[in-house]
Amino acid sequence: MGDMKTPQQGMTRRDFLVRSTVVAGSGFLSIGLPGLASKDAAAAGTAAFTPSIWFTMTPDGKTTMHIVKAEMGQHIGTGLAQVIADELEVKWADVRLDTPLESVANFAVYGLAYTVNSGSITTEFDRISRAGAAGRMALIEAGAKVLGVDAGGCYAKDSRVVQKSTGKSVTYGEILQKVTIDKKFAYPADFKGIALKSRDQYSLIGKSVASLDVPAKTNGKAKYGIDVFLPNMVYGALVIPRTRYSSKVVSIDDSEAKKIPGFIKAVKIEEAMGKCTGWVVAVADKYPTAMKAAKALKVKYDAGPYAALDTPTLLAQYKDLSKNEKESAAWVLEGDVDKGFAEAEKTLEMEYTTDMICHATMEPLNCTVQMANGEWHVHIGTQSTSFARMTLTGYLATVLKKKPEDLKIFVHQYLVGGGFGGKQDYDDILAAAWCVKEVGRPVKLIHTRESNFATSFARTPTYHKLKAGIRDGKLMAMNQDIVCGWMGARFGVGKKYGSDWLQLDSVDGKNQDIDQWSIGGSDHWYEVKNHRVRAWNHETTTWAVQASALRTVSNSYNIFVVESFMDEVAHAAGRDPLEFRLSMLNGKGGNRGIPNTGYPPGTPSDYYMDRLWISLPWASENSWPNYESATVGGALRLANCLRVAAGKAGWGTRRLPPNTGLGIAVTAAEERQSPTWVAGIAEVTVDPATGSYSINRLTIAMDPGIVVNPKNVDAQIRGSALWGASQIMSERLTLKNGGFEQSNYHQYQPIRLAQVPEIDVTIIASDHHPSGVGEPASTIVAPAVANAIYNAVGARVRHMPIAPEAVLEAMKKAKA
Amino acid sequence: MPQLSINGQSYFTDSPPDSPLLWVIREDLRLTGTKFGCGGGYCGSCTVHINGLPVRSCQVKLGDVDSNAVITTIEGLDPSDAHPVQRAWIEHEVPQCGYCQSGQIMQAAALLAVNPNPTTEQIVQHMNGNLCRCATYSRMVTAIHRAAQLAKEA
Repeated sequence: MGDMKTPQQGMTRRDFLVRSTVVAGSGFLSIGLPGLASKDAAAAGTAAFTPSIWFTMTPDGKTTMHIVKAEMGQHIGTGLAQVIADELEVKWADVRLDTPLESVANFAVYGLAYTVNSGSITTEFDRISRAGAAGRMALIEAGAKVLGVDAGGCYAKDSRVVQKSTGKSVTYGEILQKVTIDKKFAYPADFKGIALKSRDQYSLIGKSVASLDVPAKTNGKAKYGIDVFLPNMVYGALVIPRTRYSSKVVSIDDSEAKKIPGFIKAVKIEEAMGKCTGWVVAVADKYPTAMKAAKALKVKYDAGPYAALDTPTLLAQYKDLSKNEKESAAWVLEGDVDKGFAEAEKTLEMEYTTDMICHATMEPLNCTVQMANGEWHVHIGTQSTSFARMTLTGYLATVLKKKPEDLKIFVHQYLVGGGFGGKQDYDDILAAAWCVKEVGRPVKLIHTRESNFATSFARTPTYHKLKAGIRDGKLMAMNQDIVCGWMGARFGVGKKYGSDWLQLDSVDGKNQDIDQWSIGGSDHWYEVKNHRVRAWNHETTTWAVQASALRTVSNSYNIFVVESFMDEVAHAAGRDPLEFRLSMLNGKGGNRGIPNTGYPPGTPSDYYMDRLWISLPWASENSWPNYESATVGGALRLANCLRVAAGKAGWGTRRLPPNTGLGIAVTAAEERQSPTWVAGIAEVTVDPATGSYSINRLTIAMDPGIVVNPKNVDAQIRGSALWGASQIMSERLTLKNGGFEQSNYHQYQPIRLAQVPEIDVTIIASDHHPSGVGEPASTIVAPAVANAIYNAVGARVRHMPIAPEAVLEAMKKAKA
Repeated sequence: MPQLSINGQSYFTDSPPDSPLLWVIREDLRLTGTKFGCGGGYCGSCTVHINGLPVRSCQVKLGDVDSNAVITTIEGLDPSDAHPVQRAWIEHEVPQCGYCQSGQIMQAAALLAVNPNPTTEQIVQHMNGNLCRCATYSRMVTAIHRAAQLAKEA
């Protein structure tokens, strides 16, 4: 993922600089972390002293917030700007947003542009609050100077500095025109002096401010990556390779394509770094021509090592692999599980499996690449312009045999037409860049829906074996074995794959790597004294399906499995699933939460705590100190959400129609470091004749801590809940002959309007540090629905998605 | 050279007659509000009005478009971008990523043009062909009811 280290000279990135200049009456104020003299910045000819800028204020009173997070449906620019503007006391009407260009120099200034893990507000909140507050303090000081009064008697409000006693005031704009500001808040000495607002003083945080990106999305003016035009540009369409991964092009016959007017060239993409295997791009003057030519090209392939693979084979191999205990790596190890099972009165053993799904974003993957005057320009809507640049740098350095530092690469960010984890791979950029080299013109590469599906970065299939030991109606011991493809390998996670960061070490003393993004979620917040989770990496899967992150990553299957199984255990123990869960969500031990994120690594006494640090490693390089952890309160906050949702859904109090059941699930996705507490109850009616079912109602309660924009949080919860409904009901990606079987939305079916249930959302806002809201609710719907189906008709289906036929079969089994 | 009437203006294109209208609108004429989603008529992102009817422009061949046909895209729905559906969409903040929304708005506007008082069931039936991966669905239904109200107030 590139070298993220920035040499620091004398100052740390935790310091703030508030500086303004007055140049011929056009002064501006900037504030941020001093990124300082990185060699990258120096090489790019920027000043040695480079502030890492959060916002820029100009004398006309306008403040522009520089947003490096991708806008892909969460209205994140508005949310981040709300936080800064609140502390800065700037008028909301004067706030503007922009998106910095990604380059080597700007990377040193703005930091890593990467939007992932529902982490934008969680990771930025404290830092940008302080940036805003530091700006306000500097402006009050300068404003007092302009007014000729004592700063101590002044306050800031609505872009003005006001003297309390007289009401005399000066606007921010006037201040910038008259005086120069040059103030440093050094860490840690000056930080105590940065006065953050108390929660009750917030004027923008907590308000449903209208999102700034919305109007342009109603009139066609919003610009996505696919809307880019460059002079002299041509188009590329991908020929679908024989297998998802590792096809080799043997020959290309372009005789038919050549007959198509406007066809320019069939470009065999130079492979490097395991990208673009078997890719051929048809380049033409127009996109329809490129699509036609792509179909007309006759490409012969060596289909590679995965040509015979299909989903059933993978699942069978997973089961076999799980029998090889030597190969396992333990992810959770508490108490003595084997002793717990030995002492149990009753044990329960179940197998669960889940199918692949994919992102299927409404905007197909696309990008436009230009090479001019020795500079490469990439135009794209992506989750990370930084990784896009770094990946292209690595590729071009390899295929053009150049030094990375000699490559000048710029990435222009656009709106992202759906991300969900699916816009953080960059094969398309590499392919477009190679086409540019081959045809000498800018190339706009657009996936057809078919080639987009064929080159999906899929959520791995999974196999789980679970065992519970029950005594006195209590869960005494629990084991979960998980086999799947570890997506992290593709990103170099783990010693075996080239890096010693991002991965976690197994807790069994075997010093094995574990890819937390493939296992997380199994480390639930229930108190189970003897608890073990073991994981196996099915490496073939990782490559064959290009396993990747998809909304909530491993939570998206592990919560289905854990919460379904918890229900099974509750029933086996003769307990009510609600009461059973609440008894274990007691906030004890590793489930208690910790007060802040500032523990030096290794200090906490148990591995749950240790894990907190490793979860967001890219933040740790210049990590932000000592703000309140989202884990505060621990499992007790989750129990609270569950009580709220159960009460509102009428658990145990409502009389339900025939063949109708309620089902419960809880989660603290995304990771133990960044939990968002959420509980959900599904009401489902099953047709016992066909096994088909409909979700009538979802009741969801979420405690995300501070809520920056309630309307946006509500939208995210609803959207993610329906994502969850979609993946339990109908989404299914399958592998056959090494390729994905589904090619368009008639075969791969996301939820449509007619299937949308009533959704009751309760946001339990609290004063705690804000956590992410874009994903967690998507995990609980699948298990809640599965549990509701069981409660409705006694059918336990241990596979996701749940097909009506599987419900019918489980009903027969239950009767037998 | 084929001539098209879009949003009250005449356009010429040198695209071959078998080109899907979608790509002519987007890439030749650069009216990029109309979006490519699937190319198979499954998602509705490319919905435009032809003579007032909502049509999947990825399924219409350029050569099949009558030169007298009145084509309206999201850019031409209202001269001030203030069609009741657009106003209701902003009021209820329907869009999330926004990519499918031009198609959703064009589909919804076509419904209100023939049925100024749609029931929720009619809305669901009319809109069910338009996919939204962010699942902004329930706000769309609310906003269409609101747009019906706004249209009457005008």
